[in-house]
Amino acid sequence: MFKENIKLALKAMLGNKLRTMLSLLGIVIGVGSVITILTLGESATKSITQSIVESGLETITIFSTSPDIKAIQYEFNEDLPEKIINNVSGISTVLAVNSSKATLRNGQQSESYTVMGVPANYAGVLDYDIAEGMFFTDKDDQDARQVVVLGAATAETLFPDGGAVGSYVSIFRTQAKSYRVVGVMEEKAASFNLQFDSSVYIPYDTYIQRVQKVEIVGNYLIRTEPDVDVLEVSDNLKNYLDRLVGEGNYRVFSPSTIAEMATSVTGTLSLVLAAIAAISLLVGGIGIMNIMLVSVAERTKEIGIRKALGAPPRVIRGQFITEAVTLTLIGGIIGVIFGTGVSLLATNMLGWSLFPQYLSYLLAVGFSMLVGIFFGWYPAMKASKLDPIEALNYE
Amino acid sequence: MVWVVEPALDPVQNKEFSIMTDTVIQLDDIRRYYVMGENVVKALDGISLDIKRGEYTAIMGPSGSGKSTMMHLIGCLDTPTEGSIYIDNEDVSDLQETELAFIRNEKVGFVFQQFNLLSRISSLENVMTPLMYAGIPVKQRKEMAAAALERVGLADRMKHRPNELSGGQRQRVSVARALVNNPSIILADEPTGALDTKTGNQILKLFSDLHTEGRTVLVVTHDEKIGAHCLRQIRLCDGKLEEI
Repeated sequence: MFKENIKLALKAMLGNKLRTMLSLLGIVIGVGSVITILTLGESATKSITQSIVESGLETITIFSTSPDIKAIQYEFNEDLPEKIINNVSGISTVLAVNSSKATLRNGQQSESYTVMGVPANYAGVLDYDIAEGMFFTDKDDQDARQVVVLGAATAETLFPDGGAVGSYVSIFRTQAKSYRVVGVMEEKAASFNLQFDSSVYIPYDTYIQRVQKVEIVGNYLIRTEPDVDVLEVSDNLKNYLDRLVGEGNYRVFSPSTIAEMATSVTGTLSLVLAAIAAISLLVGGIGIMNIMLVSVAERTKEIGIRKALGAPPRVIRGQFITEAVTLTLIGGIIGVIFGTGVSLLATNMLGWSLFPQYLSYLLAVGFSMLVGIFFGWYPAMKASKLDPIEALNYE
Repeated sequence: MVWVVEPALDPVQNKEFSIMTDTVIQLDDIRRYYVMGENVVKALDGISLDIKRGEYTAIMGPSGSGKSTMMHLIGCLDTPTEGSIYIDNEDVSDLQETELAFIRNEKVGFVFQQFNLLSRISSLENVMTPLMYAGIPVKQRKEMAAAALERVGLADRMKHRPNELSGGQRQRVSVARALVNNPSIILADEPTGALDTKTGNQILKLFSDLHTEGRTVLVVTHDEKIGAHCLRQIRLCDGKLEEI
């Protein structure tokens, strides 16, 4: 009898194509938008993650969040880089860095900049090219010489007329000290965890002896080996540091944390949007209820005949619920096709890759069937309760 | 038109059918009242009668005499306000809708004045419908429905929809539908009312043949000529019986 009911439902739908189409529209749009939003949300997340990883940001930054903790004071020193390299695979270099804001002055020009105490191989490790002069050397570092290398923007402000290399600038921290400019860097775009152009660089030992006497290393810059999974390396690094200094006392800033942030933002956003779109599915359900009520009223005579032929109320109810569910199921399937089409179009235009959400297909179609049962129930009950004599005499 | 007529036997007189001369329908002082505002309309007011198996009976009376109400009660579309109705010795007076539907499906075959065929499906599917509600498998349904359509001479019209058939053909489809599940009663309500005299007579001939085959046929009509065609007449007037 189930097969007959589906056949009857299809016949009823084909018998009034325009009306069927219009009443399906709500479900189609509802399911279509849920699918589109979920698919686009996922595709956006994946594309953002991909572009973060692919843009070659193989640097990971570690900094302490609780400098007062004993473990940090004990471990965040100049020996940590070697420990990390020995314990976490896939890491080629670890640079210890300290930095703070300080005012630089050259004659009338004065401005606040980030002063970074870095090792001599800093520029080389980060593929940061020199424009003029040279980066300071290991010897400068060991002897804690007062030399400075200027970022491109810094040099531009302090020496608008050029001629920076060989000149002296003053760096004010607790007291003013004079530094000889040994080099000026090329411009380099800031990445998510490092900015280059508005910083100045001095040797690490110079920094801790003359700028800021600190017990611990502020940051470590880590460069991974080529062709390793940066996300995996940063996870391993976190595991290692959790054991060493305890979770929550430090932070690792890496492509994976950015990717996680992006994922959680787009994920939440697409869930919220999908929930709103699901409301339109309910509105579509009301459309289905409306059309089913019309259908029951129109077919009062048919219901009377079927009752006279021996159809019990349960069977009449089943017939109309089957019809409502068939209707919403077809609407759901069209909606999935429509939503996938829109997603394909949008991802093409935005240059993302399409990630179809197969689970959401099942959910959307399942949900639209539930909508059919829910909103088909009342009309079907109404049909099943019709008085057979009145229904038969209905014209 | 080729009529497939079984050997005519008078079921009441023939010994072979004596076992079938039991009571199919028994009405025991039934009353059906309708409350219309403050008035009570007594559509049927104390009717008792027996109809034996194999009888060919007309229920006659002018409009408003209660014959439609009586048809609804015998057809298990309605239940009496008072009194008892037995069909095949089973009391159906107090049954619920689902049980009544079951009785209608098993015991009653309706033939209506306006045919009341389902318009969207073929004549074969129309005749198959009562069998579907009886829970008979599809294959068997088709065979039984095809046999019933053959019986009424419509073997070549099985795939046609009702609107592709003439009035007489439609009524024969509905007769086939009425007899397909081999019911205890065939209940016809003004079966020739929407037909011209010639096709009307053909339908009456069909009923005579069904009666000859041993079926119990009950025709509700206001038409004296049709009443005369039946072997027994029951007359109703103002909800009371005046049997001759």
